[in-house]
Amino acid sequence: MVKIRNVYKYFGQLKALDNVSLDIYDGEKIVIIGPSGSGKSTLLRSINKLETIDAGQITVDGFDICDPETNINKVREEIGMVFQSFNVFPHKTVLDNINLAQTVVRKRSKKEASEISTELLKKVGIIEKSDEYPGKLSGGQQQRVAIARALAMKPKLMLFDEPTSALDPEMIGEVLDVMINLAKEGMTMIVVTHEMGFAREVADRIIFMDYGAIVEEDTPEHFFKNPTQERTKLFLNQIL
Amino acid sequence: MGEITGTKETKKPVIAVGDGPAIPSKSDVGLFTAWRISFVSAIAIVAYLAISKPDPYLAILKFVPDGILVTFQVTIEAILLALVIGLFTGLGRISKNRFINGIASIYVEVIRGIPLLVQLFYIYFALGRVVNLPAMVSAVIAMAVCYGAYMGEIFRAGIEAVHSGQMEAARSLGMTSSQAMMHVILPQAFKTILPPIGNEFVALLKDSSLVSILAVSDLLRRGREFAAESFTYFETYTMVALIYLIITLFLSKLVSIMEERISVD
Repeated sequence: MVKIRNVYKYFGQLKALDNVSLDIYDGEKIVIIGPSGSGKSTLLRSINKLETIDAGQITVDGFDICDPETNINKVREEIGMVFQSFNVFPHKTVLDNINLAQTVVRKRSKKEASEISTELLKKVGIIEKSDEYPGKLSGGQQQRVAIARALAMKPKLMLFDEPTSALDPEMIGEVLDVMINLAKEGMTMIVVTHEMGFAREVADRIIFMDYGAIVEEDTPEHFFKNPTQERTKLFLNQIL
Repeated sequence: MGEITGTKETKKPVIAVGDGPAIPSKSDVGLFTAWRISFVSAIAIVAYLAISKPDPYLAILKFVPDGILVTFQVTIEAILLALVIGLFTGLGRISKNRFINGIASIYVEVIRGIPLLVQLFYIYFALGRVVNLPAMVSAVIAMAVCYGAYMGEIFRAGIEAVHSGQMEAARSLGMTSSQAMMHVILPQAFKTILPPIGNEFVALLKDSSLVSILAVSDLLRRGREFAAESFTYFETYTMVALIYLIITLFLSKLVSIMEERISVD
């Protein structure tokens, strides 16, 4: 699904991504962890070109996203993204938030879009909020709207950029539940998170990043029990 | 238009001098009553003068309404055109395309550096030698081109005030940048720029008195015509000033009400 080859990215002098290579297969759930500033979000944002990389190659579903000939908007239609700060559209109702890209990008009729949106709102458990504006919703509810909005495009891949980091503790569960259900349905997911419980339960592979590079990657069992790298051990000791 | 650029703890006092009227806000009790006193007294004085001394005051009141209509016509046509120019200028100013950005920025710098009166003369008299534009058309174009530059800055500020995550979210859903701008960014920016646009409208209405020098029969021009015939300069300009005052006070009140409504939402 996603092929990342020898990717470098600089922010001025800072090396944000340092020779990163990674393959993600259909249906796979990848969790990326690491200290802040380690490049995990940058890597995730490079996959749908919210960040442009300075060297290397990224292909998504066969499309080389660095090729100027590639229509990035077409590629992005197939990649759902969920942000730390939700980024729901405050001037639109919950239903219209989810309808917007369906009608504008996918060219679905208003009726068809609303049917899909309603279905998704039931799935994420906030159908009763359809006609509310996001300002009246809790953080957890807004994030579920954001997830539904991304799913409405029927993406082949979902990117989650610390989806629970801006939430009050009591709301983290409701968002993680939605994500766990999504994983069970077989969605290909790349998740940047600090939720180790989620990583253990859902991930097929855990990627540990530090200083812009992938330090270690392994299945959750091996990763948490027998990390091979010193830096991984140090990090796990700090957070567990 | 003052810009606040305070960083960290070093807060410098900022003196913002706008060319629009001060918006009376509810929290500012002084301004609020000042508005009432000015508005009520202006109307009272006009009424008193017209009743107690119908000649010439009532005659003036009967003579100038044509001019008020023209003043509004110039103002509304100019503001509509300025909004269009301002939108494109604002978009140009945030464009990553260096050429477009350069053109928009130069336009803003040049126009803001030339007095409106000179621009009026330039479009009517200087360009008039090339294309012969009617006075009214020249007046509207000159006002719109001038205010378009200021509008551009308002649009730019309004667009930049929308959180960058909104653009990212829209783009990540596959929208093109213009789709994102139209459906996500501009509707949100519009809320913040509506009050300053209202202020520009009031400022433009006042500046529209400048078009009287192009022989456009606006409120001021009508007053001048009346005064020139009757030699009642003091009386006429008193009435003209009061009428301008009543209109601008009324409009600025509308703007402040609109602003309040928006902030409640």
